[in-house]
Amino acid sequence: MPLQIAAGHSSLTGPRERNEDFCGLATPEGPDLDSKGMIAAVADGIGGHKGGREASEYTVRGLLADYFATPDTWGVPRSIETVLNALNRWVIAEGSRNAELSGMATTLSALVLRGKRFYTAHIGDSRIYRFRQGALQQLTTDHIWEHPELNNVLSRAIGLDPRVLVDFSDGETELGDRFLLVSDGVWGVLPDRLIAEVLLDHTEPQAAAAALTTLALAHSGHDNSTAVVVDVMALPEGSLLDSLESDVRLRVPPRLKVGHKLDGLEVEEILHDSRETILYRVKSTKTGQVMVLKTLQPGMETDTPACSALIMEEWRAKRIVSKHFPQIIPALDKSCLYYLMSWCPGATLESRLEVGQHFTIGEVVQQGISLLKAISSLHRLDIIHRDIKTDNVHLGHDGILRVLDLGVAISTGEHGDGLATGQTISQAGTPSYMAPELFQGEQPTKGFDLYAVGVTLYRLLTRHYPYGEIEPFQTPNFGDPQRPTRWRPELPGWLENIILKSVARDAASRFETAEEFLLALERGESRPLAAPKRQPLAQRNPLVFWKTLSLILLISNLVLLWFFTLK
Amino acid sequence: MHQCRCAKRPHTTMSKSSFLKAGHTPTLIASFLYFDLAFMVWVLLGPLAINISKDLGLSHAEKGLMVATPVLAGALLRLVMGVLVDRLSPKKAAIIGQVVVIAAMAYAWTFGLHSFQEVLVFGIFLGVAGSSFAAALPLASRWYPPEHQGTAMGIAGAGNSGTALAALFAPGLAIAFGWNNVFGLSLIPLIAVFIIFCFVAKDAPGVPPAKSLAEYLKVLKDKDSWWFMFFYSVTFGGFVGLASSLVIYFNTQYGLDAKMAGYFTAACVFAGSLVRPIGGNVADRIGGVKSLSVMYVVAAIFIAIVSIGLPEAWMALIAFVCAMLALGMGNGAVFQLVPQRFKKEIGVMTGLVGMAGGVGGFYLASSLGYSKQLTGTYQLGFLIFAALALVALVGLTAVKKRWRTTWGASHLTAAKI
Repeated sequence: MPLQIAAGHSSLTGPRERNEDFCGLATPEGPDLDSKGMIAAVADGIGGHKGGREASEYTVRGLLADYFATPDTWGVPRSIETVLNALNRWVIAEGSRNAELSGMATTLSALVLRGKRFYTAHIGDSRIYRFRQGALQQLTTDHIWEHPELNNVLSRAIGLDPRVLVDFSDGETELGDRFLLVSDGVWGVLPDRLIAEVLLDHTEPQAAAAALTTLALAHSGHDNSTAVVVDVMALPEGSLLDSLESDVRLRVPPRLKVGHKLDGLEVEEILHDSRETILYRVKSTKTGQVMVLKTLQPGMETDTPACSALIMEEWRAKRIVSKHFPQIIPALDKSCLYYLMSWCPGATLESRLEVGQHFTIGEVVQQGISLLKAISSLHRLDIIHRDIKTDNVHLGHDGILRVLDLGVAISTGEHGDGLATGQTISQAGTPSYMAPELFQGEQPTKGFDLYAVGVTLYRLLTRHYPYGEIEPFQTPNFGDPQRPTRWRPELPGWLENIILKSVARDAASRFETAEEFLLALERGESRPLAAPKRQPLAQRNPLVFWKTLSLILLISNLVLLWFFTLK
Repeated sequence: MHQCRCAKRPHTTMSKSSFLKAGHTPTLIASFLYFDLAFMVWVLLGPLAINISKDLGLSHAEKGLMVATPVLAGALLRLVMGVLVDRLSPKKAAIIGQVVVIAAMAYAWTFGLHSFQEVLVFGIFLGVAGSSFAAALPLASRWYPPEHQGTAMGIAGAGNSGTALAALFAPGLAIAFGWNNVFGLSLIPLIAVFIIFCFVAKDAPGVPPAKSLAEYLKVLKDKDSWWFMFFYSVTFGGFVGLASSLVIYFNTQYGLDAKMAGYFTAACVFAGSLVRPIGGNVADRIGGVKSLSVMYVVAAIFIAIVSIGLPEAWMALIAFVCAMLALGMGNGAVFQLVPQRFKKEIGVMTGLVGMAGGVGGFYLASSLGYSKQLTGTYQLGFLIFAALALVALVGLTAVKKRWRTTWGASHLTAAKI
């Protein structure tokens, strides 16, 4: 069952000339509700003749419309922040261009309900409350100056500053939760106790909103008063996105052999056969189009997490439109659990290495540039691949590099922003390509993809790994990486420095973004990087250093003691 | 960097102190004692083999079979014990196991063992002691949260050292009081621990669901599970097989008396059981496959050296200690890998791998006896075992190749969604 809400709103002008408050609510259906959720917002405009209303209405309308245009893979905070940044620029630009609107700004408090979680985005002095089991809790902090004379003066708002700083919070939604978004015209005159009473008295959200605003004006309120009430009526049950839930019921196809047919697709070749997944090259009997079919091993049927992972993988891959990734081909009548993607003849870098292909330095730099372009487009979508390695980088006969296998990729948008809320994500990846911090149980970030790119280039050049091959289930000790010139003495210094920087043991000394790495590779010799310094033991592992030192001192003291007592 | 290191230190000390709070220490100690004595009794026939065979006039093959029987019985009865643990509770299963062993020992002591057949039947009863693994470990480990499981299992598992106790004391006692009375003497610690166990040990709250036969079959579909059973049958099989046959070997090959042969054996067994946790740590640091490969090569080399029949007993002792060190560390390395590779099926897998280890021990101990009987030397038995270690090495390379892949795909989503 999808998320269901009931909502009501009320906005009264009161004794003022104009109503500068604005509120809005967007409740999409289907896939948008799944990936983006519903959004409610309250804004309270300030400044100018009609600027206040202009700013608040434009901001709320803009947010409600553009929020749904952000990539599905983005998390809620990033989506809202991006939209608000654009709206903020517009409000500032418009305010400075148009004398009538000059000095306009607005507060904004937005609430997103998605799946089983809620998110708040807040700037200014409107408020968001949660009313759960008779208890009213304020979820936001007012951004006003803490000074008696500056009371009611906003410290932060949309339109004040070229850089917007929005507060975000999130939490678990419960059935029966009631959320309340109000402008200062309501909370300024009604104490929390009274608000709670009103919310308790009116079960209808519309009635509750109307009661709050009229009561605020009746309590000698002299400002516009606005209230939006959102009741959570039903929560989704499944863990997966609702629109994908139907796929879970599909069974895993039996093991197919060459020549077997499935849904009008004829198997031509088994491309990959691993513990959990299996990939076939198939040909449509109708159109003759050759595609790749990815599915699970027959024994994995009962493994629900693996099934949902495959479904999410398709969901993710569908959103990456780039020549550096295999593209998803929609399968209309699926009788089994699988997905289709485009087939490109070629070979992975690993299989090229295996058959003994030698990569020249120029080629490696070229592949590195293409690979980083691919990674950078992935990171723009907030997707972390987590499994960049020579086996997953494919070089087509058309000369285009493609990144394969999003099996363990994660995007902040698809699940309750686990990265932000400290939910732990278990480790995944190929040990030799995993950054040292990952072995300490750190959460994956985009930087780890860049580390893996470094290891991939290292391996292309030398057929070795910078820290040696790391086995699964090993907790390795990382020393200094082996210099690639050890195996390839003709390697230019600038390239060696770039590679050593990308696989540095300390995360802080690596490249921060794919673009930085890319730029370094493109500039190459013209702007070489400094060679990495060797870290002394005292800095690398102070504990071992001091322990060893103390032990040496202890022994030398004992020796001296023995020596003197002997005399 | 520096700050980050400092921040980590209090965390580790905290987890150390919380280990005592986390589980149930009396149960942990009781399971260790139970396990230790059970292992002592399990291999008891080994150190007594010289005296027993003298009295009963056993051939080399019969001697080998005699010491191998408890090992095999222990391996197979472990499954029965597993079922009892699931159906009743770890504590009840352990009590049943102890009562059976105590009763068997008391019978052997009062009525004596008069024929080879009787010794074999007695060996099967001793196998019940060998199956204590399946009760003692869950009893202790169920009390502990995942982060302390390793430590808890390590402490309870240190009961492996019981094998050395048998080799150390049994021959001397047999000389002083007669081998039959050793059974009676060992009743003293057995009954003492039994009483302590009954009062102190407590079943952990919350019972995990019983394992079904289907689960065992499902795990066996995975190629890796067969390899791991084989790996352990070489390392643990080598350890326990040597532990039970070395007394005989030192006696027949170098003519050492029972007491001296017992000390020599104890030294080897001590070496093997003490390095087990070290093997686990090494595997964690440099990789389980890598370290196991080294262990197999080292063990194969030293066992091959032994097979040529070294001129002096002390040379053989050194070679055996080295082989035992490799095998003991190998045990640790296998059990560093198994829980991680078979996260979901760990309960089933521990049982299977443990059983395979026992079967390996039975094979080695009995094959040494038959080798002596048929060819006149132990050479063939040792050489075949060394070859098995090399087969394990080949298996490891296959596993290693298969493991060069992405890990954690489905675990990831389990945590995520």
